[in-house]
Amino acid sequence: MTKKADMTEQETVLEVKDLRVSFKSIAGKVQAVRGVNFTLKKGETIAIVGESGSGKSVSIKTIMGILSRNAVIEEGSILYEGHDLTKITEKEYEEIRGKKIGLVFQDPLSSLNPLMKIGHQIAEVYTQNYKIPKAEAKKRALAIMADVGIPNPELRYNQYPFQFSGGMRQRIVIAIALANDPDILICDEPTTALDVTVQAKILQLIKKIKNERGISVIFITHDLGVVANIADRVYVMYAGKIVEQGTCEEVFLDAKHPYTWALLTSIPDMKSKESLLAIPGTPPNMIHPPKGDAFAARNRYAMKIDLKEEPPMFQVSSTHYAATWLLHPYAPPCEPPKELKQRVEEMKREAGLL
Amino acid sequence: MKQYFLKRVLAACVALFLILTLAFMVVRLMPGSVYDDPNLPPAAVAMLEQKAHLDKPLLTQYGYFLKGIITENDWGTSVKVEPGIPAFEILKRQIPISLFVNLMSLLIALPIGILAGTAAAIKKNTMIDHAISFLVILGISIPSFVFASLLQYFCGFKWEWFPILYEPSADMAGQLHSLMLPIIALSLSPIATITRYLRGELIEVLDSEYMTLACTKGLPHYKATTRHAFRNASLPLIHVVIPMFANVLGGSMVIERMFSIPGVGGTMIKSINQTDYSLTVATLIFYALISVLTAFVVDILLGIVDPRVRFGGENA
Amino acid sequence: MSEQIKREDFVFLDADRTLFDETFSGKPIGFFKDALLRLKKNKASIVAFVIIVLIAFFAVAGPVFTPYGYNDQDVNRVNMPPKIPVLETFGIADGTRIIYNSRKENLNNPEKFPEGSVLEIVREYEIKNTPMVDVKVDYYIYSGHPDDYFIMGTDYLGRDLWTRLWRGARVSLLIAVISVMMNICIGVVYGAIAGYYGGRVDIIMMRITEIIGAFPQVIVATLLILFMGTGIRAIIFALIIRGWIGTAKLVRGQFLRFKGREYVLAARVMGVKDKKLIFRHILPNSIGPVITRAMVEVPGAIFAESFLAFIGLGLQAPEPSIGVLLSDAQKVLNSYPYQTFFPAVLISVLMISFNLFGNGLRDAFNPTMRGSD
Repeated sequence: MTKKADMTEQETVLEVKDLRVSFKSIAGKVQAVRGVNFTLKKGETIAIVGESGSGKSVSIKTIMGILSRNAVIEEGSILYEGHDLTKITEKEYEEIRGKKIGLVFQDPLSSLNPLMKIGHQIAEVYTQNYKIPKAEAKKRALAIMADVGIPNPELRYNQYPFQFSGGMRQRIVIAIALANDPDILICDEPTTALDVTVQAKILQLIKKIKNERGISVIFITHDLGVVANIADRVYVMYAGKIVEQGTCEEVFLDAKHPYTWALLTSIPDMKSKESLLAIPGTPPNMIHPPKGDAFAARNRYAMKIDLKEEPPMFQVSSTHYAATWLLHPYAPPCEPPKELKQRVEEMKREAGLL
Repeated sequence: MKQYFLKRVLAACVALFLILTLAFMVVRLMPGSVYDDPNLPPAAVAMLEQKAHLDKPLLTQYGYFLKGIITENDWGTSVKVEPGIPAFEILKRQIPISLFVNLMSLLIALPIGILAGTAAAIKKNTMIDHAISFLVILGISIPSFVFASLLQYFCGFKWEWFPILYEPSADMAGQLHSLMLPIIALSLSPIATITRYLRGELIEVLDSEYMTLACTKGLPHYKATTRHAFRNASLPLIHVVIPMFANVLGGSMVIERMFSIPGVGGTMIKSINQTDYSLTVATLIFYALISVLTAFVVDILLGIVDPRVRFGGENA
Repeated sequence: MSEQIKREDFVFLDADRTLFDETFSGKPIGFFKDALLRLKKNKASIVAFVIIVLIAFFAVAGPVFTPYGYNDQDVNRVNMPPKIPVLETFGIADGTRIIYNSRKENLNNPEKFPEGSVLEIVREYEIKNTPMVDVKVDYYIYSGHPDDYFIMGTDYLGRDLWTRLWRGARVSLLIAVISVMMNICIGVVYGAIAGYYGGRVDIIMMRITEIIGAFPQVIVATLLILFMGTGIRAIIFALIIRGWIGTAKLVRGQFLRFKGREYVLAARVMGVKDKKLIFRHILPNSIGPVITRAMVEVPGAIFAESFLAFIGLGLQAPEPSIGVLLSDAQKVLNSYPYQTFFPAVLISVLMISFNLFGNGLRDAFNPTMRGSD
């Protein structure tokens, strides 16, 4: 399932092809990622959405080359600037990790060294990676602290992580990632651990940075609400696979996969009066992934074929794909749930008004 | 910081005061008089007791006791081990060699422990780690006096590498040579403790998110380890190493006796066996002083080193 | 596509079916069973446990195997070397000893060297024209006890060391186990009260532990024994006076952690009484760490007891303990190393076993390991 040329002619900066990653555990081999494909174009933001355990974070760790020791890359490739990141040596990786591809973590509370001054943790990037003298490194660190919206950077520079709030720490983590001036910024659930009001600010910050620096962003989240704000294209992931992909509009307004439907109807919002629909059950056991469609057991629209055969990617438009048998010509006519339809109407109206 | 410092000073003073009180009570309330030598005529005993204010009420005695220690450095007088000599004088003579043996064994233990602990943590779950962990269990479990017996019998008696006992009359090198066995015997348990502690800390830190961040910052692995993991893992060592000094000092009592080192520990044992209680209490006060002092130093150092403690942060 | 795609497969499944994944297979495993399962997998701790049980068995029954009492003194069999049936034929522990500096003429004197006692002349030399020999003898025949077997030899009063060692082990274990159990009891109650009620109660109670904790263990123990006189009770008391603080702090920490958990709040909202909250909902969380702590403290107590014996504050003669035996043997280490060897091995093995078993328990109870095989 290679992708056709996109509407935009922007060059591709990162391409993940048929990536499979599994973990050795005593109980058996956990197939965390089972053939993931996606591409990232210069200057765009893609979002990868899915429940916990769907394999999002593992995919990201694979790209960053920070998988734990019991992980195995079974097959696939990650193409960046002509290199396959699954094949290069650790030495070569050190030139890419951080320097070309930056990462912002989920939990800013524990991702900063508690015993090191904030400023030093940023300036370290300059002094250690680029051999910039200390005074200059400090100047740059202060500048980047101001960039990510830290008030009073001169004072903050000499403080320690525990003196910072969650939102401020996340800004610091972003500043550290940006200090390398990377081409790609990967944000792994960067707002999950934060208060709602702070979340919005961090999202704005990431948006602003992206626009100012023209970098590409991969945004990992389980929160579709966040995605709508920030992503150009969306990949929906389930049980180690991409089940639907498309532009933000396509996925939100014209979703095809029952899992995406379920996700969309489970977003709480202010207007809808009908009850939220939770997705029943939990993701399948990835040691023995079910035969057929992994989502079938939790799917209200499952068909017999879903239990037998894994659905291929069906093309909906040049940018929109979904892996569900419902798109097969043989499939009986099927409508998304009415709750979703109402929501989509709502969204369209809003979009129209705006 | 200032407040923190003052608080610690106060705590140390309270602890010291309590220990002095306890020591006083033990000496004074001990069954029988300090001077219950049947050979002494009762009049002489009475005189001695009067001289030592034993005829006064307990509280007044306590006042004299404290006053003696603070103003005249009077820690009591030895009655039987070295009759008539002030305990302070005896201790003053013996402290240097005790301190030397203990400090040396810690100085040996520190680098070895750090090296072994780091090796075990970095090579986690390999043969190296398992071998080190096995040795650590041995080092922690086997008492220092068993090690000392082993060393004394084999390295001292059988193979004659080292003198069996301390040789006070030898020259510097000879003295040092004869002190090697006790120093080694005392250092084994600290080595094991440091190794185990550092291994645990380092493994935890290497797994931490900020180590991952250090890697995704673009730092090469060894740099991330030295700049972030190593520093953070070794700071808590202060918690272990400095109190270890007081522990080793306690443990060295037995070792000092086994190798006839004329140190504080040997004196304490002698005084206990000869029921020379004022001398025992004086040595006890010395040991108490050392442990209170080391606890104090730990607190202060942690304050200096860990910003969370220094600024009274949430995780302090 | 491995199979043909058939049109009839494209029908919706029964709409009423429950939407779930496969049900969890296997029964739920209880906390202790789970811990036990993991403990069983840890071979080192199983071996350690077996050794502890064996030593405990011998500590109870060991003295029965010999006809000698632990205090049977006999000047005719002082410092006998060990002699063990079976092993003696291999030249190990065969009850022989080299006697130095004997006059050669005495070799033929059955009063000095009884019939068959001389095995080998190791060295012959002369001092002042008198022929002298170092001679290897069967010490049992030499001293007139040809039929006795002292498996671990005898001490300077002719007491059987096997009997004394196991009796000593019994005393040492007893002291350790009793003091640790008391420590745990006091610590659990104290820590539970401080942690559960919190606030001012907690602050005051923790201040008290801080003050007691400021006294070094050795010093408190020494002062106390000086005060109370030596004896089992004094030693146990000396080990308790400061020993419970660690457990108290541990339990308090656990209580503080768990009493704020939602499930405890929920129980409280439903009107569950304090007592039930403590015993049913909070305390079980602390059991694992507390048991582990107890296991790790036992060798500490054994060590402390030996230590006190070494500095002259051990049990009163003739009662042995491992520490007393080691301390006595130390004085004759170079002449009779076997007297140090057996108690040294026993205390080392005992402490290693307790530490290994404690480590195994710690891993087994570690909640982050739950469910993993």
